[in-house]
Amino acid sequence: MATYFIPTEEWEALVRALSRSARLYAPRAEGEDYRLEPAGDDSPPPPFSRYRAVQSLKAILFEPRFDVGGYLGGGDAAGPAGGGEAVVLGAKGCNIAALAVLDFALGADVPDPFYARNRERTLIVSSDCLDFKEVCFCTLVGGRPYPERGFDLNLSPVEGGFVVETGSPNGEAFVARFKDRFAPASPARLAARDAARAELTARLREHQRRLGYLWGAVSRELVERVFESPVWAEEAERCVECGACNFVCPTCHCFLLSDHGRERFRRLRNWDSCQYKGFARVGGGGSPRPALFERLRNRYDKKFVFCPAVIGVSGCTGCGRCVEACIGRIDMREVMKRLSGCK
Amino acid sequence: MNNPYLPVGATIREVVEESPTIRSFVLLPDEPVPFLTGQFLALTVPGVGEAPFTPSSSQYVTDRLELTVMRVGTVTEALHAMRPGDRVGVRGPFGTGYPLDAFRGRGVLVVGGGVGLAPLRSLLLTLRHDIERYRKVALRYGARTPADIIYRREVEEWRRDGRIDVAITVDRGDGEWTGRVGLVTTILQDTGIDPRDSVAVVCGPPVMMKFATFKLLDIGFPPAAIHLSMEKNMSCGFGKCGHCRLGTVYVCRDGPVLTYERVKDFREIWE
Ligand code: SF4
Ligand code: FES
Repeated sequence: MATYFIPTEEWEALVRALSRSARLYAPRAEGEDYRLEPAGDDSPPPPFSRYRAVQSLKAILFEPRFDVGGYLGGGDAAGPAGGGEAVVLGAKGCNIAALAVLDFALGADVPDPFYARNRERTLIVSSDCLDFKEVCFCTLVGGRPYPERGFDLNLSPVEGGFVVETGSPNGEAFVARFKDRFAPASPARLAARDAARAELTARLREHQRRLGYLWGAVSRELVERVFESPVWAEEAERCVECGACNFVCPTCHCFLLSDHGRERFRRLRNWDSCQYKGFARVGGGGSPRPALFERLRNRYDKKFVFCPAVIGVSGCTGCGRCVEACIGRIDMREVMKRLSGCK
Repeated sequence: MNNPYLPVGATIREVVEESPTIRSFVLLPDEPVPFLTGQFLALTVPGVGEAPFTPSSSQYVTDRLELTVMRVGTVTEALHAMRPGDRVGVRGPFGTGYPLDAFRGRGVLVVGGGVGLAPLRSLLLTLRHDIERYRKVALRYGARTPADIIYRREVEEWRRDGRIDVAITVDRGDGEWTGRVGLVTTILQDTGIDPRDSVAVVCGPPVMMKFATFKLLDIGFPPAAIHLSMEKNMSCGFGKCGHCRLGTVYVCRDGPVLTYERVKDFREIWE
């Protein structure tokens, strides 16, 4: 859509104003990491995060455990509504890429009404990465360390402020609402943004190359071709079936409904993990994926085969969260590297 | 907000013992739950949870629902303990149902195994409703033992009135059984249904589905004419929770009845 420029002080003043009118989620620096958390209106201006936060947008838009309502006299209203408009700052390219998967998975056909509501009332402000984590591999799965579409607003730091790009009617409306603070983006500033982007992308690619990760372009064919590889079982040996990879993943969206209460019957929607033994088990006890390695393989199959085929985008955004979270140190980059070696 | 996660209430009116482990439940929903034959419902046992079932009643009967349920897990166990007057919930219908329009003017070979006759009963009742639309309808049903045959009296009636050509076989007979003994795959030939211009509909335990499909292909049914009821773990029922994924389809949304053509290249279809 359109591009603008906003000076740093103006942006900070705007964020302060926002934190009074909407629920604000912003990155908070913690060591080398950022935590994406609710920011109160008395907190200092949030830092400009150099790369993605520990938490993905999933936890904000699609609650880990959510009461979807009661039935048979259990009170119908879903709750808690957690109401009001929200603004999320600090989303990165990989976060935005994940939204395409979540929007399809939870929003297509008959949408999950609670996800749809959260999505509708949340303004997503993303920004370019200025650096990357060791585990980052967005460029291997078709991503870039800066968002190109799918955000409401995107910020790119340049000398003295930010180039702001609008990516949706909501983003446009936002700029229109505070139009005094924004100026048109000059060609020089746009050029500076593009140069910074190109420089970081090159640096990230070099990082992949040094680590020997060159599998990106063939990932889909890879998983289809190597279905019978022994690598799956070897890697799965270190899996303890904790589901952390699913829970930290920005695109994993599988959930399980569970029923509670003896008089007031309530139903909860809970994040689920396809690594759990019972995930695909049917009433009679049979399961299509009784072995752990089959479930590990299934996760790759969903990300690299199902998502491209059905949604048209990669189910893996290369954020590296699963690499950091796995206590068995199963590293998706390594798994893919090993698989690509076995024809 | 229209909340697709919550069931409507229903009262159990009648419980029918079909076999030692199978019961049918006649439900009176608080509001009508219209469905197309082959679509399924999520049945809630309050406070316990949900399980998916395809109604066994005709799609033309709208004031009550009949579900036939085998006792296999937590939800079905709790359901089997329920009595007339008890309250349950139903959510749905979900899925696409049998493509009846595509069946018109053709022969329909219905192949069932065990409790798999439940959804097929709904189909057969619906087909019988205007049987003249189809060239010929035949049922080939296999059960483990004579005691495992469900809807026995009704199936007998169907056989007598001749609108459907019925044949039954059991894996193992008992003292009184005078009928056929053998797997259902042994009675799929010579049904008077021309496989080149007919459809086959299969529902039963996975192994039976697998071998019945291979037999039907053998006889000459094209993969696109073989309609399979896929059983997968399900939670949401409308393509959100991811539990029922099979290759690139969600069985709840795209099925639960899928042609062999559609699934044949996926792995895990018979598990
Ligand atoms: S994966 Fe890419 S977009 Fe995400 S934080 Fe790392 S560099 Fe940025
Ligand atoms: S049962 Fe939830 S996606 Fe099919």
